[in-house]
Amino acid sequence: MNHAVISCLHANLAAVEAVLDDIDSQGIQTTTCLGDLVGYGPQPNEVVELVRQREIPSCQGCWDEDIIDGLNACECSYPSQLAERRGHRAHHWTADLLTEENKAFLAELPMTLRRDKLLFVHGSPNSQHEYLLPDMNAFAALERVETAGAETLFCGHTHQPYVRELRQGSIRVKVQQRDQGAPTEQELELPMRRIVNAGSVGEPRHGSTKATYVIHNDDTGEVTIREVDYNVAKTCRAIVDAGLPEVFAWRLSHGFEYAERAEDASHVCER
Amino acid sequence: MGQVCLISGPPGCGKTTWALQRLQQHQGPCAYLRLEGEKAAGLEQGDDSGIDLTWLKDQVPSLEEPATANATDLKQHNDGLTLIEVQQFYPPSQEGIEGLGDDVRSKLEALQMHPDQLLHFGRDPELPAKDTLEFSKLEAWHTSLSGCVWDPNSLSSFWFELVNGAYGDVYRAKGLMNLPDGRAFFCNWMVTQASSQFLPLDATAPLQGRPSRTSELVVQGKALNPEGIQSTINDCLLADDVLAMQQQQLQQQQPTSQG
Repeated sequence: MNHAVISCLHANLAAVEAVLDDIDSQGIQTTTCLGDLVGYGPQPNEVVELVRQREIPSCQGCWDEDIIDGLNACECSYPSQLAERRGHRAHHWTADLLTEENKAFLAELPMTLRRDKLLFVHGSPNSQHEYLLPDMNAFAALERVETAGAETLFCGHTHQPYVRELRQGSIRVKVQQRDQGAPTEQELELPMRRIVNAGSVGEPRHGSTKATYVIHNDDTGEVTIREVDYNVAKTCRAIVDAGLPEVFAWRLSHGFEYAERAEDASHVCER
Repeated sequence: MGQVCLISGPPGCGKTTWALQRLQQHQGPCAYLRLEGEKAAGLEQGDDSGIDLTWLKDQVPSLEEPATANATDLKQHNDGLTLIEVQQFYPPSQEGIEGLGDDVRSKLEALQMHPDQLLHFGRDPELPAKDTLEFSKLEAWHTSLSGCVWDPNSLSSFWFELVNGAYGDVYRAKGLMNLPDGRAFFCNWMVTQASSQFLPLDATAPLQGRPSRTSELVVQGKALNPEGIQSTINDCLLADDVLAMQQQQLQQQQPTSQG
């Protein structure tokens, strides 16, 4: 059976509606959301309400967390002073606009969702803020999937969709115990594990302005990355009308993220 | 007698780049002068505010300004070279100095300059023509960044947005930008170029306080959004306390002198 996985909606209603229409048109009954329902985009309440109305199971993204808990991420999460100031502006605008009811909904979202051997997270099983990039060290990537007890890990956060298969993995452990002679060694051969990144519905960054999401077949394991056209100009007009920085509209209309990713994208703020 | 060469051309055609190469190749004393060219309807001259001169003087420290009282009279030096740069949108209407317009002619006469050679980009084969465009309408915007220091990654983002059309159709942008580590960069972009130049100045500023050297930005294009540009610049510049903290960190990283 096919199910859809969507992520990083970023308060872009036109994109969310287009993606949900695309999912519906294929007769898919189950959709999972990997968080970041809000942030930067102009329609946070509308998007949260649509997800609630459709009863789409969602985990909490980094923006959803920050809107509830305040700006926990320190400046190290931003690649530049400019990105930080724009991010803070968007944060305060969103926090002011979101209804208490919608904030409460975001606050109750779980960090992870699990269905059998499928695990759904926003960033990584460790943190909503950690990026699992497609070229991440294979051992580290395998460790994230294996320690979470998953066969397939669905994530978002990078805004770039990809499927990564981790084959022929093994973990070798050498233990030197006190007062004992030679260390003992154990090696564990691992079956193939997968990381599936769903890309971004509301803030794509894969070289195009199209919204992306993935379809996964539970029976065959096949993953399809979908790209969906939506009315980008409509969202850009809404950004300007809302009083958000006009440059957000320009960046969205060119397929650039609102803020560039930090050079060390794997860095997780520990503050 | 020294040589006086006048080059003219529209914005971004490569006048300063050509001048730098010529000055660096020259063995004797040399001087540089930039003059505003003839005005043309709908075409705004960019206010250079000393960007070109500062860049050239950094690269050729012996460069003199013929307009200053202390300048050596290069006309007396047989091996002297004076380069005069004029921003002029259209090729001169006549041969010789008469084709340069009244303003330029009167300034040259006041300085007792008589060019031996007049070259116009796009007309004379001695000069490269690949960046010479014909403009029918051009707006110009300029801001002084004197004493300002950029967050380096923010400068990179701002410049990317600027030259890719976030604030209007920018055909030409150039600026001198200070960084917190004391370096400054000559940032240079023309619509005909595939990418921008970010050229470091040789001279660095002390790691204390704000730099005093020339820092300016000039943008030329159509449908420019000056408020948007200025707003983004404001988000990129370091406040006093942030600059002081970064300079302190950089000072601590510097090796201490022995003995």
